[in-house]
Amino acid sequence: MNDEATSNADRDDATDFGFTRVDREAKAGMVRGVFDSVASRYDLMNDLMSGGVHRLWKRYTIELSAARPGQTILDIAGGTGDLAARFSRLVGPEGQVILADINAAMLEVGRDRLIDKGATGNIEVVQADAQALPFKDNSVDCITIAFGLRNVTDKTLALRSMLRVLRPGGRLLVLEFSKPTSALLGKVYDQYSFQILPAMGRLIAQDADSYRYLAESIRKHPDQETLLAMMEEAGFGECRYHNMTGGIVALHQGFKP
Amino acid sequence: MTQHDPALLSAALAGTERALNQAIALAPHSHQELDAVSGTLLGIEITTLDLNVYIEMVTGTEVRLMAHCERDTDAFVRGTLEDFAALATSEDPAATLINSGIELEGSSASLITLQQVIARMEIDWEAPLVDLLGDVAGHQIAEGLRRFFRWGEGARASLKRQVSEYLLEEGRLTPPKAELEHFYDAVQSVAMRVERAQSQVEKLLAKAAARGTSQ
Repeated sequence: MNDEATSNADRDDATDFGFTRVDREAKAGMVRGVFDSVASRYDLMNDLMSGGVHRLWKRYTIELSAARPGQTILDIAGGTGDLAARFSRLVGPEGQVILADINAAMLEVGRDRLIDKGATGNIEVVQADAQALPFKDNSVDCITIAFGLRNVTDKTLALRSMLRVLRPGGRLLVLEFSKPTSALLGKVYDQYSFQILPAMGRLIAQDADSYRYLAESIRKHPDQETLLAMMEEAGFGECRYHNMTGGIVALHQGFKP
Repeated sequence: MTQHDPALLSAALAGTERALNQAIALAPHSHQELDAVSGTLLGIEITTLDLNVYIEMVTGTEVRLMAHCERDTDAFVRGTLEDFAALATSEDPAATLINSGIELEGSSASLITLQQVIARMEIDWEAPLVDLLGDVAGHQIAEGLRRFFRWGEGARASLKRQVSEYLLEEGRLTPPKAELEHFYDAVQSVAMRVERAQSQVEKLLAKAAARGTSQ
């Protein structure tokens, strides 16, 4: 970890990197380091860590997107492209899917996977920062960000950027780890996150630290109600969320008025 | 905020969808018929479980199940779990649909067409066994399974007939169907006569009341 960055823990412009306070400017680079490290085995680890349940969470996200032929869908932090591949079929040849991620290594894996699946005609791959999306105002029908918002340094700035890019009536779907609704499940989940998860990371990706960061970043991420309030404050309307798997994951939905 | 955990419902739907698509893949003769109904979207609401499920025929070889859908459905059926169970096990689905508490919105034609295509589907269970085990062993096992299922079907029909005969003839625990229908007709006839008598009495009472007020 960057010593200079962590030494600035008391400054006002410090932010969370897992349980550590780091310089805001340094967080993006540190998150990039984590995902550079896990990119090649990201999907495998997701399957192992969630027992394959992440596919069900994403399946419901796609249903809630109500994606139709001809629409433009922006998948931020789309990483290895599993959502983008499914959106590509739903929007059809007259629609467009933009797979965006700040991390070049993840995008490279995602682009290769999409080519292997034959999903290429209507997908554009863009390296982009969620806080300053390089797209026109009112240009996208739906934005999804799955397991990405917690890694963004300034979440409010990112939500405002998403609002700007969405067309009026367009929807944002944020799929993210959240707070379990039962105390018992919360304790079991804590044990799993801080004991088993890093051990699996060490065994499979030879990288316990990155997976420890993933567990810590989940705990520092805003809970269901806090994120809902942040979305409303950013300007989204008709905001609501769906808890999944006992609140381990929540899917937030909001519309651009 | 939702009552059901969407992940659990998605798991059930994903499993069912996979099984259905595998069954369709094993019924190549139905692909053309299913292709003709591609794009059809059916909605099902099971009121007792507060559950909605949407079934979309994507192509002739692919069906998609969803827990959430914002498109307009071609047909939407609503009923209790018992209603749908009765419909699924009924020998005459059309009659059960009419007589049950199931509500139907939209086009019944699309629902009936899909039901007919599914009823005509001939799933070739032998194909995956042959792929897995080779021509000889695969065919022998498939033949054995077919004999077992034919025997099971025959045994079920025979048991049903024998139980029915015992209840009617030996135990005299239930009345014969014709006797029951005659009884229902008689009850209905009495009910209609009572209704007519009641309306005549009401007319007479109204006349008597009118005479009383004029005097």
